Amino acid sequence: MGSSRLAAAITVLFASAAACASGDRTFERQVPAEAHGVVDISNVSGTVVVTGWDRPEVSVRAALDEGVERVDVSTDHGRTTVKVVLPHHGHGGDADLHVQVPKDSELAVSAVSADVATAGVTGVQRLNTVSGDITAELGGSDLELKSVSGNVKLKGHGQPARLHVSTVSGDVHLEHGAGDLEAGTVSGTLVVSLDSARSVRARSTSGDVHFEGKLARGADFDATSVSGDLNVRASAESGYAYEISTFSGDISNCFNATASERGHMPGRTLQGTRGDGAGHMHLKTMSGDVQLCDRK
Amino acid sequence: MSGADERKVGSLRELSPAIEPARDLWPQIEARINAERGTAAPPRPARARAVPPRWLAAAAVVASVAVGVWIGRSLLPASRPGAQSPISASRASFADVPTALDVAYVSDPRYQRDRAALMKTLQARLAALPPPARAKVMASLADIQRAKQDLQNALGKDPGNALLQELLVNTYQDEMRVLTDVQASDPGRGI
Repeated sequence: MGSSRLAAAITVLFASAAACASGDRTFERQVPAEAHGVVDISNVSGTVVVTGWDRPEVSVRAALDEGVERVDVSTDHGRTTVKVVLPHHGHGGDADLHVQVPKDSELAVSAVSADVATAGVTGVQRLNTVSGDITAELGGSDLELKSVSGNVKLKGHGQPARLHVSTVSGDVHLEHGAGDLEAGTVSGTLVVSLDSARSVRARSTSGDVHFEGKLARGADFDATSVSGDLNVRASAESGYAYEISTFSGDISNCFNATASERGHMPGRTLQGTRGDGAGHMHLKTMSGDVQLCDRK
Repeated sequence: MSGADERKVGSLRELSPAIEPARDLWPQIEARINAERGTAAPPRPARARAVPPRWLAAAAVVASVAVGVWIGRSLLPASRPGAQSPISASRASFADVPTALDVAYVSDPRYQRDRAALMKTLQARLAALPPPARAKVMASLADIQRAKQDLQNALGKDPGNALLQELLVNTYQDEMRVLTDVQASDPGRGI
């Protein structure tokens, strides 16, 4: 259901991009590629849609508006490079790329304002944008994602992987992830759902953090913010020891534990253990409110 | 420098919506555009290339100046002669005891050198971002400044608070990460 929705979204994105670009130049090229090779794609503006397939080749289709000079496609020693080239002078233009890659490829996409979408890629993904939004399907391999102001939507299938996501102001939505997550934002909102987490490190300055999911035995969970709220609903079969600290925020929970004041000093803390206490949970804020529940 | 110039900008909303250059830059811009028109090679027939309208050039200059003013007011308080850094200003109002953080971060020459280097190019990088992205990043940097100030104020009330010290260190690290990411955002390639 989720996959079909993602595929539909990608189809709509590509179709609308193609429609917008109607009347502009088109570009098509196929080059042979290794099944576990590297595919490096860069585009400034427009869209980048990448899908994995079973063929040992990279296919590039593009719609280019008049501000784009050309698309370079080259392959060398297992690395295929797709690069949208803009003229040295002028404002440049949009290029809408649809790239099909061997599904086990290691994928690297670099964009400025172009939106990026990936689906069906099971190799490592490195996705970077400045202001473009990123939509990616997690394929069980590691993901490294960085955006300045673009919003991020990630959808996994519960396969464990190392996920490293950072934005400055973009919001992050992650569904059905698993494994190890390190996520950071300054003012974006982090909304994370993990089917099984071994370790979670979430950090925010002013953005709120929402987590829902299940912790593996002995998992470590660490979330901090300065003024953002932390809302955590984490269950764990073997439980966890928790420690919550806030300087001026409120602490609430679903198991009726009472936070303690720090005597005459400002601040509240709440410590305790749920279940066997095999995992560890640390939640810290300066002025944000903290909510913890051990039920999903 | 007047007291009004010393005022810190806590929010983008506090900036004037129409910041004008201190002097009329248009004659220079116009002369340069005309000079470039005169010397530019004729466009290749395969590619149509529109000359950017004058208002775009003027808007770019105004955006650059606005970003510069914002950086100068909100991110470079120590660069003004006689101005106190947020750390020293906040501490002066509460206590004179240096915290471990001063030693670890603010007084570290490498940190200061790296931050200064990033700040030098921040204006150009921000000006090169698409306007909506630029506004978002500036808002985030303002959030970081506000967070640092709030944490320093709270540390003034409770200097030994390990939670606040940790969060302040995190915030300094986050600021460096943002400056590095913005620095790495090449309009020609991405990040």
